[in-house]
Amino acid sequence: MEAIYADTKYRDVPVEEKQRLFDQVKSDMRWEETLYGCYECGICVAACPSARFYDFSPRVYAQIMAREDIHAFYELLNDSMWDCSQCFSCTRCPRQNNPGGIITIMREVAVNNGLESAKAALTAYSRIIYKIMSTGTQVAPDMLQPDFFPDWGPDVTAVSENLDIWRRMVPPETLHTTELAWDVAEKTRVELFLIWKLTGNLEMIESLDEGIFMILEEVMEELLEEHGYDIDDIDSVI
Amino acid sequence: MSDLANCVLPGDLKYHIDFNVWLRDQGDGTFQLGMTDIAQTLAGSVIHCRPKKAGKTIKAGKSIATVESGKWVGPVKAPFHCEIVSRNEEVESDATVLNRSPYSKGWIVCIRPTEEAGDYQSELLSADAALEGFRAYMAKHDLAECSHCDGFEE
Repeated sequence: MEAIYADTKYRDVPVEEKQRLFDQVKSDMRWEETLYGCYECGICVAACPSARFYDFSPRVYAQIMAREDIHAFYELLNDSMWDCSQCFSCTRCPRQNNPGGIITIMREVAVNNGLESAKAALTAYSRIIYKIMSTGTQVAPDMLQPDFFPDWGPDVTAVSENLDIWRRMVPPETLHTTELAWDVAEKTRVELFLIWKLTGNLEMIESLDEGIFMILEEVMEELLEEHGYDIDDIDSVI
Repeated sequence: MSDLANCVLPGDLKYHIDFNVWLRDQGDGTFQLGMTDIAQTLAGSVIHCRPKKAGKTIKAGKSIATVESGKWVGPVKAPFHCEIVSRNEEVESDATVLNRSPYSKGWIVCIRPTEEAGDYQSELLSADAALEGFRAYMAKHDLAECSHCDGFEE
């Protein structure tokens, strides 16, 4: 089957590889609840913020996946999929399709398979991965830097320069933090590290970004060792 | 200033292209190590730098310090098997020095090659020899040119 885009840049990728990844998406337990059939009303596109600013259309996902066009699927998997903001505005579909949900599954397949597009998309957010995996909190107040959040306008400079004072104005003491969204108990971090290690998440990160993996493994190893766990023999925990 | 897209590569330093670090031979068997102008540009405003403790031995290619900017984190990798002789306290207390003065006040650690380092000099390049390699590195990372904050010191 020809791709919808005749000049597809992935024409050299073997069909078997495209099919393998497509099958992974369709075998996901959430798949059955994401797509019921699309009559191209365009409500999802009208509601989609990404469609306003990028060459992106949630309707294409419903269409291509229903058509099982694995060539076009592979293009979406490597390119426009990363333009979705995962806001799920598209779920106002009158047929209860969930293009954002399709993309959630596709992104997980891209990450699990260490696709280049996943690596490229995540590079700029490596600290967010690092934060959530090392502390369980995704957003740190000190991320508010002028060069990373120019959309905050001139206020972001003043906020970033006096962050400690701003944070101490927040009533709960657990929020008097700048490097973390809130204070995280050591016990929580130990449990988190065991989960990442035992579920294979840490290894998945290794295939995506060797640098973050290196840092995370060191942080985890140190804390787990303090609590009597050997990171190289972690299966014995079970 | 080199002729590499607004990037500074001082001529008296050695460079490791893949790890994007520079080394300054101290003449006593030790080297100061830091991030290049290209590395600080790619990182953006650095908010934390955590070098490892003096006395630690680090294998080649392993993390010698962790650097964090707004949304990015990455290791500073050891270019050869080495022992950390000292670390720069200033970068720990104010990591923006890595942006302001990457080649002087922004040195991160001082290291000494260990026996396992072998022929470590072969991995290091002069500024002139590193030029093409860094050009390719920048192209790979979609970096058109280096950018410098206010008060940048060459």
